[in-house]
Amino acid sequence: MSDEPDALPHFVSTEPWLPSEPTAPVRTRSRIPGWWARLRRHRLAVLSGAILLALYLSTLVCEVLAPYAPDSRHSDFIHAPPQAVHLLHAGRVVSPFVYDTDESLEMSTLQRIYTEDRTRPEPLRFFCHGDRYRFWSLIDGDFHLICPAPGGTLFLLGTDRLGRDLLSRLIYGARVSLTIGLLGVALSFTLGIAIGGFAGYYGGWFDFLIQRAIEIIRSFPELPLWLALSAALPVSWSPLLVYFGITMILGLLDWTGHARAVRSKFLALREEDFVRAAMLIGASPARIMVRHMLPNFASHLIASAALAVPGMILGETALSFLGLGLRAPIVSWGVLLNEALNINAVVLYPWLLLPAVPVIVTVLAFNFLGDGLRDAADPNA
Amino acid sequence: MLNYAIRRVLAMIPTLFAISIIVFAIIRLPPGDYLTTAIAELEAQGEGADPQKIAFLRQAYGLDQPAWRQYLDWAGGLLHGDLGYSFAYNLPVGAIIGDRLGLTVLVSAATILFTWAVAFPIGVYTATHRHRIGDYLFNLLGLIGLAVPNFLAALILLYAANAWFGLSIGGLMDDRFVGQDWSLAKLGSVMAHLCVPVIVIGMAGTAGLARRLRANLLDELDKPAVAAARAKGLSPLTVLIKYPLRAALNPFIADLGMLLPQIVSGSAIISVVLSLPTTGPLLLDALRSQDTQLAGSLLMFLAFLTVIGTLLSDLALAVLDPRIRLTGGADR
Amino acid sequence: MIRRAACAAVLLLAAVARAEPPLQPAVEDGLPGRPGGTLRVLIASARETRLIPIFGYARLVAYRPDFTIVPDILLSIDVEADRVYTLHLRQGHKWSDGAPFTSEDFRYWWEDVALNPDLSPAGPPSELLRDGERPRVEILDEETVRYSWPGPMPGFLAMLAGPTPVVIYRPAHYLKPFHAKYADPERLAALVAAQHVRNWAVLHNRLDNPAAETNPDLPTLDPWVLKTRPPAERFEFERNPYYHRVDRAGVPLPYLDRIAALVADAKLIPAKTGAGEADLAARNLRFDNYTVLKAGEALHHYRVRLWQTAYGSQQALYPNLTCSDPAWRALFRDARFRRALSLGIDRHEINKALYFGLAVEGQNTMLPASPLYERGLRTDWAGYDPEAAGALLDAIGLRARSDDGIRLLPDGRRLQIVVEYAGQSGEESDLLELIRDSWRGIGVGLFAKPYQIAVLHNRLFAGETLMTIDRGLENGLATASMSPQALAPLRQEDWQWPRWGQYAETHGISGEAPDLAPARALLDLARGWTDAGSLEERASVWRRMLRIAADEVYTIGLVAGVPQPVVIADRLRNVPDQAVYNFDPGAYFGIYKPDRFWLAPD
Repeated sequence: MSDEPDALPHFVSTEPWLPSEPTAPVRTRSRIPGWWARLRRHRLAVLSGAILLALYLSTLVCEVLAPYAPDSRHSDFIHAPPQAVHLLHAGRVVSPFVYDTDESLEMSTLQRIYTEDRTRPEPLRFFCHGDRYRFWSLIDGDFHLICPAPGGTLFLLGTDRLGRDLLSRLIYGARVSLTIGLLGVALSFTLGIAIGGFAGYYGGWFDFLIQRAIEIIRSFPELPLWLALSAALPVSWSPLLVYFGITMILGLLDWTGHARAVRSKFLALREEDFVRAAMLIGASPARIMVRHMLPNFASHLIASAALAVPGMILGETALSFLGLGLRAPIVSWGVLLNEALNINAVVLYPWLLLPAVPVIVTVLAFNFLGDGLRDAADPNA
Repeated sequence: MLNYAIRRVLAMIPTLFAISIIVFAIIRLPPGDYLTTAIAELEAQGEGADPQKIAFLRQAYGLDQPAWRQYLDWAGGLLHGDLGYSFAYNLPVGAIIGDRLGLTVLVSAATILFTWAVAFPIGVYTATHRHRIGDYLFNLLGLIGLAVPNFLAALILLYAANAWFGLSIGGLMDDRFVGQDWSLAKLGSVMAHLCVPVIVIGMAGTAGLARRLRANLLDELDKPAVAAARAKGLSPLTVLIKYPLRAALNPFIADLGMLLPQIVSGSAIISVVLSLPTTGPLLLDALRSQDTQLAGSLLMFLAFLTVIGTLLSDLALAVLDPRIRLTGGADR
Repeated sequence: MIRRAACAAVLLLAAVARAEPPLQPAVEDGLPGRPGGTLRVLIASARETRLIPIFGYARLVAYRPDFTIVPDILLSIDVEADRVYTLHLRQGHKWSDGAPFTSEDFRYWWEDVALNPDLSPAGPPSELLRDGERPRVEILDEETVRYSWPGPMPGFLAMLAGPTPVVIYRPAHYLKPFHAKYADPERLAALVAAQHVRNWAVLHNRLDNPAAETNPDLPTLDPWVLKTRPPAERFEFERNPYYHRVDRAGVPLPYLDRIAALVADAKLIPAKTGAGEADLAARNLRFDNYTVLKAGEALHHYRVRLWQTAYGSQQALYPNLTCSDPAWRALFRDARFRRALSLGIDRHEINKALYFGLAVEGQNTMLPASPLYERGLRTDWAGYDPEAAGALLDAIGLRARSDDGIRLLPDGRRLQIVVEYAGQSGEESDLLELIRDSWRGIGVGLFAKPYQIAVLHNRLFAGETLMTIDRGLENGLATASMSPQALAPLRQEDWQWPRWGQYAETHGISGEAPDLAPARALLDLARGWTDAGSLEERASVWRRMLRIAADEVYTIGLVAGVPQPVVIADRLRNVPDQAVYNFDPGAYFGIYKPDRFWLAPD
C-alpha cells in the first residue's frame, strides 16, 4: 500500500451492503406533480382554465341554459335590440324583469322601431318550462334555467332577421364551435405524435421522406386547401357529417407542427441512456416511445395542444365566412358571424356582431392556459 | 456551407414537383368542371347560356381530355414559363396575375414592415420592463390582436374608416385613381387605404413576433455574460444591444423567411373582405369556378414563395448558427 | 365658373362634331338633356362588364316601357303573317370604328358563322329553327335582309329584342381576317400560333364574343364602346360616335360621355353605394339594404327609389315531378298533394317578416299589371288554410303520423321533403325556415340542404333532387304576344319537370315524355301559340295555359312584387322614379333608354 501513488480519498463505506435494508429515503413529499403546483401559481391560467371548463360544461346542457330553442322564431320581434334586465321598477326592487317592447314599422325607411313600455314589467321565470327541445336529440324536454314571462319575451342579446334569440343561438353554437376545436386538435395531435415519433425514432430514409412530406404540406397555402377539400366533401352527407368532415380537414392540415416538435425531441432523446437500456432489454419500439420517451415532454405537448385549439376555432369561423364550412341550418359561432358580416349588421343591428365575443374569450383563454401549462411544464425554458 | 445550400436547393425540386401534382388534383376534386359551373351560374341568374357553344367550348378549352393529359399540358407550360390560359377571363394567366402581383407585393411588404417596426420595440420594451403597466398593456393588446377574427376586425375598421375619415370603402385607392397613371395624389390615396389591411393582417403576426422576441430576450438577459457586462459598468442600453439583442435576433430572423408566404396566403381572406385587387380574391374565384390553369398557376406561385421562404430562412439560420449546418438540419 | 362652362361647351361641340349618326337616325322623344359626364357604376366581377351592352340596349328591334316591340337599330321591319320578316337598315349607319353597317354583316353571320361547321358545330342557334327547319335568309340589297319560315314564327321579334338577343349580324370587315375562308392562310396560321389556340375557329370565337365584352377592338353598335383592355379593375366605356339615335334637337345620343365600371366585391357594393360611390346602382342591392341606403341620401347626394320586380314569384318551390324515388314521385304527381303543400304555407307571415308587407302574396303567375292577369290565378290554392291542407293529405291516404307529428309515407318513411338549394344570399334559407314552420302544422317535414350550384343542377337533371327553391316565372308582366314557353315542359332548366324538358330539348333522345294529361295539354297549347294566327287567339292560349298552371300548382309560388331598391345620383336625370326592374324583357334599365340619361353639372 505504501508504494502506490496517493490514492484518492474514498467515500464509499466499507460496511457490507445488505439488500434487505432499504437505504433510499422514503419520499415524504406529496404526490402532486411539480408542474401542477407551478401551474396553480399562474393565476391567469387557472382563471382561463376555469372559464374553459365552464364553457365546455355548458355545451353539455345548452338546451337547459338557453332561454329559447335555436330555431324558434318571433315574427313580431325581428331585429329587436337587446333587452336590459332591471331590478328596480317604480322605485321598488322586484325580481329580475324586462320591460315589454312594442314594435312599429317606419315605412319611409323600412325600419322596425322598438320602444320599451316602461309601465309593463315582465318578470323572468327561473327553473321553468319553456320551448320544447330534444335533449342531445334523444330525450324530449322543456325544462329551462331561465324563461321569459308567459307571453313575454327575453332577448338578452337581441334577435336576428328572422326574430330568433341571439343568446340561445350563441349557447347552442358553442356546442359545435368548441367541439370542432377539440376534435380537430385530437386528430392533428395523434397524427403528429405518431408520424413525428416514428420519424424521430427510426431516422434515416423514413425520416427524410417524412420531412419532405411535412415541407410539402407546409408549403401549401391554407386557404385553397380548405376551399378545395371542403368543396370535395360528398354532397350527399348530412350536415353533421359535413361538420365532422370539416374538423377532419382542419386536423389533417395541422399535424405538421406537432410532428416537427416530436421528431426533434425524439431525435435528441434517442441517444439517452435510458432509451438505449430499454432497447437493449428488448422492449418493442411502440412501448419505448409511449412509455419512456413521450412522458418526458408530455406537458409540452399538452401546452401546444392548448395553443392549437384557438387556431381551429378561428379556422372554423373563417371557413364559415367563406361559405365553405358549416352553413345554416347548423348553428355555430362561425355561422352566426357570417350572417352578421354585412353593412346592415354593422350600421343598424350591431348586436349581431356579439358572437365575436365568445370567440375572443375562448381564444384568449386557451392562449393563457397554454402559456401557463408551458411555463409550468418547463420553468427553465 | 455551400454543400448545405446546394443540398437544400436540390431538395426543393422534388418538393415543387409533388406540390404541382397535389395542386392539380385538389383543384379538380370538386365534381364538374369550369363549364358546368359557369353555365349553372348563368342559368341561376336567368341568363341562359347558348347550349350549342358548350360542346365547342369544352373542346376548345381542352376539358374533354383525360386528367393526366391536362396536367401535362399545364405543367409543361409552367416549365417554359407559360402559366396557361384562364377560361373565366379569356386571357393568358400571366396577364391576369402580373397585374395583381405588384399590389400583392405592396400590401405584403407594407405588412411586413409594419410587423417588424411595431413588434421590435414592443418586444424589447416588454422584456426590459417586466411587470410594469406597459408590459401588461402591450401583452393584452397583442393577445386581442391574436384573438379577434381578423375578417371581422377588417370589416368594422372598413366602415369606421369610411364613417370617420371618408375613406372609400374597399380597394387599395380611391375609385378615380384606378387604372390611372401614378401621381402624388394616387400615392397618398394608396397609403391611406393600406392602413386597414396592414393593421388587420399584421395584428396577429405582430403579437406573435413581439412575444417571441420577448421570450428570447428574457432568456438571453439571464445569461452570465449580461450580468458581467452590467457589473463592468456599461450603460443599460449598451448592455442590451451588445450581446443579448444580437443573440435573440437569431430566431427572429429565422422567422422572417416564413413571413412572406404566410402573409401572402394569410391575407387572402382579408383581401376578399376588403375587396383588394390582390391575388387572394383572384385565387378564391378561380378555385370556386374551377378555372384550372389560373388556380393552379397561382397556387404553384404561392407554394414556390413558401418553399423559397423556407430555404432562405434555413440558409439564414445556417449562417447565423453553425450548429445547424454541421448537424444538417433545422431543429426548430 | 365661366371657364368651366366654356370648357363644357367646347367639349360638347367637339363631341357633336365628331359624332356621325346615320342619315336616317332614330329620333328619341322625351325631355332633352345635355351631353357630357361620366357615369360611375359598380360591378361585382370583371365578367359583369357584359351588363353594359345589356344596359345600353341597342337592338335590331327593342321593347318599349309598355312592352311593345318597335324597330330600334333597324329603320323598319315588315312582318307578313308572322312568317316573313323584312328588315330595313338605316342609310349611312356605321359600326363604332366607322366601317359601314350593311346587309353584308348579316350575310357574313348567317353563311360564314352560323352555317360554318367549324365555328358552329351544332348549326345555327336552335331558337331560329322552327320544327327543326332553318329559316331562309335572303340579302335583297345593301340595306334589306329577309328572314322567312314555312310557318309562323311569332317569337322572332322577341328573340331580337331580348336582353341577350340572338345576334344575327357581325362586323364582317373586322372578322374576315380571322376566317379561314377569307384570310391569308399563312397570316392566319401565324395568328393562331401567337395566341396558343388550337385552330382558327377558337381564335375567331374568342375575338367575336359580343356579349362577353372582352375585346375592345371588336366594333359594335352599342351606345358605349369598351375602351379598357382586360384585365383591369376599372373598365371605361366611351360613347360610340356613330350611334344611331339622336334627340329631338338632333343632338347625337348618348348624352353620357363615359361609363366607368369599377369592380368591387359583391358584399361591399351596398356599402359603397351607400357611401355615394356609384351614380346608378340596382343589381347588387337587395331589399333589406333599403334602410342603410336611405340613411345616406342627403349626405351623399343620391336618391333611393323602389322599382317593381316582375317575377311571377320572388322565389317558388319546385317539386320535382320527374324525380327517381317512386314514393315521392307518386306523391308529387298527385295534384292534391301539391295543392295541400301550397295551402299549408303562411304567405302573409312571409310577407310581413321578410318584405315589410310590401309584396304580393299568391301563386307563381302573372302580376296584376299584366293584361293576362286574373285574380283567381293568384289566389287559387294560395291562401293559408291548414285544415283544408290536412284534409287533402288525409284524402290521399297520408294519415299515419310519427311521434313528432310528421306524417308517414306509405312505406313508413317520414314525410320529410329535402329541399335543395344553391343561393348564397340567405333569402332562400330564410324562406325555407318560415315554410318549414308552417308545414309542420300540417304534418309535413322540411329539411333545407345547401349545395354548390353546378352540383345541384346535375342532381336535378338526374332526378335525385326532390324539391328545390328558385326564382319564379321570369316575366310576370307578359302580354299575349310574348311566348308562353316557360309554362310548358320545354326546358330541362324548369325544375318542376327537368326530365320532361330534357325530352323536349333533345327531341326525344334523353329524358322522359310527359305522361300527365295537363302537362301534355300545356305542350299542345304552347305549340298552338306558335301556330296561332291572331293576337286574340294567342291571348286565349295564354289564358288556358295560365289556368292549367294555377289549377295544377306545378310550382308553388310564395310572394311576388318585392320592391327593388335603385340608387340614382341627384345629378343623374331622365331616370324614371317608378319603373319595372326586370331582365327579360326589360334589360334591367334598358327599356328606359339609358342613352337618354344625363348628368347635370354640379
